[in-house]
Amino acid sequence: MFRFGAALLGVGGAIAAVPILGTLLAPARRQASAWVSLGSAEAFPPGQTRFATFLNPIRQPTDGDAAKTACWVRCISPGKYQVFAVNCAHLGCPVRWFAQSRLFMCPCHGGAYYEDGSRAAGPPPRGLFEYPWKIDGGNLLIEAGHLPGLEQST
Amino acid sequence: MKAPRMFGVAIDWVESRTGAVAFIAPLLTHHVPRNAKWWYVFGSATLMFFTIQIVTGVCLATLYAPSAAEAWESLRYIDQQVPFGWMLRALHGWSSNAMVVMMAIHMLQVFLHASYKFPRELNWVTGVFLLFTVLALAFTGQVMRWDQDAYWGLGIGASIADRVPLIGNQVRGLLLGGPIIGGETLSRFFALHVFVLPGAAIGLVGLHLALIMKNGISEMPKPGATVEPATYRAEYEQRMEKDGVPFYPDAAQRDMVFCGACLVLLVVLAAVYGPFGPGGQPDPTLIDTNPRPDYPFLWIFGAVSLLPPASETAVMLVAPLVGVLVLVAVPFLANAGERAPSRRPGMVLVAALAVMAVAALTWEGKTSPWSPVMDGWSALPTPSHFLTGRTPLEVQGANVFQFAQCRNCHSLNGLGGERGPALDAIATRMTADQLMRQIQQGDGNMPAFGRNLDSAQMTALVSFLTTLRPEFEAPAVIPGAQLPLPVRQMPGEVATPVAAGTQ
Amino acid sequence: MNALRLLRAASLPSLCGALLSSAGACDRLPGRPESAQVAQEGSPEWTAHVFNTSCRGCHAQGSEGAAVPLMDNAYWRAATDEQVTQAVLHGQGVLMPAFGPTVGGPFTPSQASALTRGMRALWGGGAVRSPEMSGTVVAGNATNGKAIFDVACAACHGANGSSGSVTDPMYLRLVSDQGLWTAVVAGRRALGSPAWNEPMPGRPNGLTTTEVADVVAYLSSERPRSMSEMQP
Repeated sequence: MFRFGAALLGVGGAIAAVPILGTLLAPARRQASAWVSLGSAEAFPPGQTRFATFLNPIRQPTDGDAAKTACWVRCISPGKYQVFAVNCAHLGCPVRWFAQSRLFMCPCHGGAYYEDGSRAAGPPPRGLFEYPWKIDGGNLLIEAGHLPGLEQST
Repeated sequence: MKAPRMFGVAIDWVESRTGAVAFIAPLLTHHVPRNAKWWYVFGSATLMFFTIQIVTGVCLATLYAPSAAEAWESLRYIDQQVPFGWMLRALHGWSSNAMVVMMAIHMLQVFLHASYKFPRELNWVTGVFLLFTVLALAFTGQVMRWDQDAYWGLGIGASIADRVPLIGNQVRGLLLGGPIIGGETLSRFFALHVFVLPGAAIGLVGLHLALIMKNGISEMPKPGATVEPATYRAEYEQRMEKDGVPFYPDAAQRDMVFCGACLVLLVVLAAVYGPFGPGGQPDPTLIDTNPRPDYPFLWIFGAVSLLPPASETAVMLVAPLVGVLVLVAVPFLANAGERAPSRRPGMVLVAALAVMAVAALTWEGKTSPWSPVMDGWSALPTPSHFLTGRTPLEVQGANVFQFAQCRNCHSLNGLGGERGPALDAIATRMTADQLMRQIQQGDGNMPAFGRNLDSAQMTALVSFLTTLRPEFEAPAVIPGAQLPLPVRQMPGEVATPVAAGTQ
Repeated sequence: MNALRLLRAASLPSLCGALLSSAGACDRLPGRPESAQVAQEGSPEWTAHVFNTSCRGCHAQGSEGAAVPLMDNAYWRAATDEQVTQAVLHGQGVLMPAFGPTVGGPFTPSQASALTRGMRALWGGGAVRSPEMSGTVVAGNATNGKAIFDVACAACHGANGSSGSVTDPMYLRLVSDQGLWTAVVAGRRALGSPAWNEPMPGRPNGLTTTEVADVVAYLSSERPRSMSEMQP
């Protein structure tokens, strides 16, 4: 009788645990990204670094404003770009571009990057994260999605 | 029937069915040490603030919309439209800070008096778990504000999680509830903040109180009165029997006076200073922001900033575990012997160092001198006394100084960034050549500006910087240099005869 | 006795509760958050805020700030609104950065002109623009300019002038003709530089418009066109 009860509870518990653990642990493996347009490539003049925003392609219906994402687009020469994540490689704070000193600066711990994204000063362990980009029908597209980080950059 | 008799009958009726009086009466009448005076009120005050947190928290949960799209707006609604809504948020916010402070003082008192020694080791251990539960409540509470600080604070948390070797990405995903900071992140932290953590805290508080009842309140430490596990319990009970006083009303009245005073102070703080935040809209494309954590975490923010980059990942991931282990281990490392602080100078020193370290790091976190002043270049004017009497080229150099955003990291006259050194007297430390080299090539913590400034800008900037020295203080020279370097004379200064003599 | 003390202690929370509710003036407590008022574009508050965060670092007042002070009315006498708006949007010379949308800057054209009007309202007080100083550079004669410079300017601003040279090629590379024009027309009294119509050596009544144009043309001609010209 006792053994039967224990077995029954065990089996029932194991089955019930599937949806519980399944939902709790699901976020551990979703690291998707997709191509998203930043608009016409002509909006990014050569020699300049511009701020651009896009709606995250992997957003959820309840994300609200948090689905908006920012990036820095550097047009090196016509048809040649670098697209940087706005997140500092140190602890993820949003870096700002200063066109006069040609530096990205982070407001949190003073990380600084040159215009090509390489580390210039401060604590960041590497340069800025870059999104893969392509031109399609005159539009600049980047492959973006999950938050960039040291383990899986973009 | 007279009222008192009716009351008595009702009590008896309930008692016969619940045993409530039999349960509660010993709680009130148990004997506590006579000398346990005002030192012992901090734990009660912590409990009072926790009660306030539960009451105000439940009220806030009736108004708050835990959805990433609406949370920020609902907080503004509570602040602006709901009657007394802002006061409710202010009480919840100030009480949370007060609770952390009271808990820290309580813990410090217990540590200094070594009340954690036999048989109260587990009182301490449950207290340590309560500490971390409450800090977790404070952090998740900051996330509930769902403003820019909350968003980027989560970003910092995610970046730290991402540094876990091998499974960093998975850990980050579990923390955020997905690959980005979004709706599921807020829902996740909401569940933690209103269900999981308060539940854990209530359970731990119950356990903590049950252990206090079981082991009794510790006496004031006396030098020489050592704790001997073999005989302690019997002796303690004997002393309580002989010399103790009932908790109610002797000790309870002090608790009530102190808690009452704390409560009045809390209401005044809430009414005068109002609620915390919400700050800017949680829109990650509004990057004109300067994320800072709440007070209880400023010291961690400070510590993370001051770490050498090479040790950063290791310290950020390992230090919290070591901290928990060390705190839990405290009563097991020394659970007998002297309790008096005067006989434990080493432990007093440890406590003093810990308090000073947290205070200093909090100050550093608050002032964060490592952060550039992002609008320093465009908002902080070059002070008058660095412009009067300067040549046109030097004044243009001051323009270059602002233009090239030097001011974001270097201060003049106390205003500007503190990432790099203040430059008010830079000309007494560096020659023109050294300045030129430093600006062009940079070094570890200074970017190289060689490619960004043309020769005219560089010349003007260096000529401006070589004027930055207090009046009558000698400019920098290269030791052993044969010829006197061309020295720019400041207005009011007289040429030194030495310079003329060596020609 | 104990009961009485207890009662007093217990009355504290209820007392403050009563205080709180009797303060039906809860709305007037200092802690009540202000409803966020966004300053209207072009209003004095908006102008002051924008100026204080984006302009003041270089353009302050008196002897503060390295570029032309905008909080004094001297400059507003010399500049037109159009000229200021263009400078905000597209920059000016070497060291005034553009803040307009063509470089991804923060201000739209309408914000830039609102800023200009707002600044003139705040600091251009009573400044009537000198009609003949139209704000933009007038072409002049460099040869005449040198003669005027030698008399009226050289004592202070010549190669060995007491206030430092303005013919220094490095200086001239950093300051555009418009910048030179503004420097002469507005002057910088707090730093000892007279405006165009104030007494100068050999020119008790200052300079005429033509003379200013000539001096600027002369200084412009002294500006090295390339780096190689700058080598001594």
